[in-house]
Amino acid sequence: MLQHPHQLNALVHDGSATTAGTVEDPSPPGALSGRLIAIKDNIATRDSPTTAASNALTGYTSPFDATVVKLLRQHGATISAKTNLDEFGMGSHSQHSHFAPVLGPYIRNGVPLSPGGSSGGSAVAVATGQCWAALGTDTGGSVRLPAAFTGTVGFKPSYGVMSRWGVIQYANSMDTVGILARNVEDAGRVFRCLDAYDGQDPTSLSVSVRERAARRQPLARGLRIGVPIEYNIVGLAPAVRSAYTRTLGSLQDHGHSLHPVSLPTTRQALSAYYVLAPAEASSNLAKYDGTRYGFRTQGTDASPKSGLPLYARTRGEGFGEEVKRRILLGAYTLSSDAIDNYFIQAQKVRRLVQRDFDGVFTRLNPLLDSDVTMGAGVREEQGVDVLLTPTAPTLPPTVEEVKLQSSVESYMNDVFTVPASLAGLPVISVPVKLSGQGKEVVEEPDVQSVGMQLMGQFGDDQLVLQAAAILEQLDC
Amino acid sequence: MRSSTIRTAPSHFARALQYTSPGLIRCPRPCIVAKWLQSRSLTTATAHEAIPLRKHLKDEAKRKKADAKRDGNTASTKPGGDPRLEKWELTVGIEIHAELNTASKLFSSAPAEVLESDNGGTANSRVAMFDAALPGTQPQFQVATLLPALRAAIAFGCEVQRQSGWDRKHYFHWDQPNGYQITQYYQPFAKDGCLVLDASDGVPALDMQGADRLRIGIKQIQMEQDTAKTTNVGSSTYHVDLNRAGVPLIEIITLPHIHSPQTAAAVVRKIQAVLKSVSSCVIGMELGGLRADVNVSVRERGTSGVGSSYSGVSGLGQRTEIKNLSSFKAVEDAIIAERNRQITVLEAGGVIEGETRGWTLGATETTRLRGKEGEVDYRYMPDADLPPLVIGQDLVEHLTSTLPTLPDELQQELQDEYNDAKTLIDLDSGDRLDFFLRTVHSVTAELGMSSQAQIGKMVGNWVLHELGGLLTTHQRSWDDVRVTADELKNILLCLHRKQITTRVAKQLLADLFQRAPAPAARPSVEQLIETGNLRLRPLSEEEYRDLARRIMEESPEMVKAVREKGQKGKVMWFVGQMVRQGEEGTVEPEKAKAVIESLMGG
Repeated sequence: MLQHPHQLNALVHDGSATTAGTVEDPSPPGALSGRLIAIKDNIATRDSPTTAASNALTGYTSPFDATVVKLLRQHGATISAKTNLDEFGMGSHSQHSHFAPVLGPYIRNGVPLSPGGSSGGSAVAVATGQCWAALGTDTGGSVRLPAAFTGTVGFKPSYGVMSRWGVIQYANSMDTVGILARNVEDAGRVFRCLDAYDGQDPTSLSVSVRERAARRQPLARGLRIGVPIEYNIVGLAPAVRSAYTRTLGSLQDHGHSLHPVSLPTTRQALSAYYVLAPAEASSNLAKYDGTRYGFRTQGTDASPKSGLPLYARTRGEGFGEEVKRRILLGAYTLSSDAIDNYFIQAQKVRRLVQRDFDGVFTRLNPLLDSDVTMGAGVREEQGVDVLLTPTAPTLPPTVEEVKLQSSVESYMNDVFTVPASLAGLPVISVPVKLSGQGKEVVEEPDVQSVGMQLMGQFGDDQLVLQAAAILEQLDC
Repeated sequence: MRSSTIRTAPSHFARALQYTSPGLIRCPRPCIVAKWLQSRSLTTATAHEAIPLRKHLKDEAKRKKADAKRDGNTASTKPGGDPRLEKWELTVGIEIHAELNTASKLFSSAPAEVLESDNGGTANSRVAMFDAALPGTQPQFQVATLLPALRAAIAFGCEVQRQSGWDRKHYFHWDQPNGYQITQYYQPFAKDGCLVLDASDGVPALDMQGADRLRIGIKQIQMEQDTAKTTNVGSSTYHVDLNRAGVPLIEIITLPHIHSPQTAAAVVRKIQAVLKSVSSCVIGMELGGLRADVNVSVRERGTSGVGSSYSGVSGLGQRTEIKNLSSFKAVEDAIIAERNRQITVLEAGGVIEGETRGWTLGATETTRLRGKEGEVDYRYMPDADLPPLVIGQDLVEHLTSTLPTLPDELQQELQDEYNDAKTLIDLDSGDRLDFFLRTVHSVTAELGMSSQAQIGKMVGNWVLHELGGLLTTHQRSWDDVRVTADELKNILLCLHRKQITTRVAKQLLADLFQRAPAPAARPSVEQLIETGNLRLRPLSEEEYRDLARRIMEESPEMVKAVREKGQKGKVMWFVGQMVRQGEEGTVEPEKAKAVIESLMGG
């Protein structure tokens, strides 16, 4: 780490706290008392602006706190800052920000590495000690990828477990609040404060489903770990592949069992995601018209004389290029001529992805009434508790390399993170050392870890955290 | 009006249903109109004083007046008037948007209606954060809004779907804060209903094709959000009021089963009447509570047009859509104009373009708003924030069993009970009927139920003829009638008990008719009788004879006419003279007649 943390553009607004590392102002007692927690700037806070790093929301301050922010405050945490991101969460490297691109804490050949995206600001803030933990959002990997690229822990709970009230929508059928922390224990501590039903979020899991999910027996044996064969792709970087293999071996050495599993729809998942997420984005971002709040173009924006459709100027000037690209993509895939071939097909793929996952876990999906994929006994004997894969196929590229990537190349980063998002599964990225003990293959300022991703059955958030703690303690 | 506390949106269904519990229902009058009031307690919103039937009848009366006027003015609206209509057949399908009678908006707890204290509704005063589309807000379905929607679906005989869903319909407009409207495009909550009309609803005989009734299919009913209200201020400024944004609507889509402009208007009228009768909607078309879009096509009779189809009906001409019609007359006139335009185009060898057209009241032509190429692609997408809407059969059954009487049924019930009902219904848009029923009820309460039919006849006579006569004489409308049902009751009770003569009763009615209405002091019937010394004091037989002889002596010619020419009718002239010349309230006509007849014969 060569650069001063404040030069990494991780933070965009101050929170209510002092910037000192220790907190002197009294905070309410609670599990998070005295803890500084930074909030991704697409989560609403009353006392500082909420802009989603978009010009469209320049100067916007929400009149209310997101439920997750309210809960953090109630548990004694101090909201220290708002963190930078890819505009509205759309990006994998946190370079598409209206403020400034976020720089990762590592450097290769003098060029900063990508912090991952879109919660890059939150991840860098945690990695550089600018806060104790941070909230991000994860729609297709936006918490896990930055965690993997910054050597932090990134946890995306099951969809619906943590409230989205006050979280600015990107693709609301997949948007999930996530937690970035320096270790699994801290992430778990934040999670337990935010794991609550919220009547203001119509997708919040009901108390009864939560109870059903909580009925899982604690593990009395070693983990049954699934190794999806479809994730062994050609594009897997050798450094990542070796860290992955080493981790799997180490887990086996510690008494956990490895099981090859097949998730055949994985190949189509990325395409489906990049149809569905932009489709939902084109809808969710339709509200930014400059009429009621946020950015508005100079002069009239509705005059037929200008020859432009209504709001064309405001929206054209308010959104960045990547956001516009996805809105256009989404508007197309939802159009009456294209919806059958794109949106509907992608929804079918999504269902297959979910079915793939349901077919491999020891535990039945608590959202399903009956087991269609396996008999009960078979599931116990042949299923797996968690799946382990790398979080990203490569190490973080430099920000210069990112600039040279096409959009599609950039989307490829999400190939391992997107399937769990489509299925709404709990998943955590845990850093493991890049090289084996004593081996020094990279220079000191370059990244020293690789993110490993543990996915669990829907509702198995606690099990995923348990497994992550095991993984974290391996001395491989 | 109820207090505003009741207007709080019930957030939970159990609370919503509380309002239906019989214990809470106040039942002021056990007459049929009261049934309506009683049923209104089902509503989740304020109980309005307006009686749906009365409103319905008022609208009917207005319509008839308008019909009469129009028939007199424009002969071309009659099918026979335009020879081109023998060649071309019109087909119309209607989409009606009706504002639901609910306390809250569809997806937020903001009030759907103006509060009493709100001085007509300050702009942007009833706006939840979701209604303003603030970032990070989500919809929260207000389950109580389902009740009036379901009542409507049941009233139209629809199949209520166990599961339906919410979809986003996208378009940019400043009346649409989220950039989309939440509606039920893919899975509406109600399907396959129908509307039955007859001649009394204003359907022309030609459309009935010899049948008693005309059945118009209803394809579906869906719930959706209303838009914000925008007002043009100056050349390039619009004011946006979000109070209406998110207010629940139902959209009722009829099948293209309609073949005349008059029937189209009748369909809209009838739909409004039914919606009001079950308290689904309380604001009429005249106040913007209902809006209609019409799909219009023509085809040469006996052909299948250009083979177009919609709503599952095929073999039609190319249709155009006329949007946002806000009165019955606009519906009818817009269809006439569009039909004529299409025929003219087709007869000139032209082709009808599928387009959206507009209509302003008083215009003779529809105007093109946008063509196919300008059509908005709404990009319908299921709303991922909203779980499917699941409606239990138990709820449907409960609402079916507590559904208020529909207009057709009510008319039938009244007619079975009272001969005059039909005439009364047709008068003064139901106000007269209401007055009649209240009088019957209070007289019956005094005299006992056994004589109800007789009382009905007597009251009907007084309400129809006596009050009617006074209205004519004084050139007043029913709205100016100051006599209360209670006063008429007291007059009729005195008459029935032979405390006054019929003549005095009429005099009392005329007196009260002309006095200033409450809160000005109005003497009671009893006071009037006392001060006017009008109580019947029967004359003795001898007094009757004296009076009769005196009159006979004064009019020998008349006596001669009766005795010699046998003009028996003249006897009544003498009776009249006796009543007039005798002291007020002393001569009973029947007795006078008997005396005259005996003297003439003698």
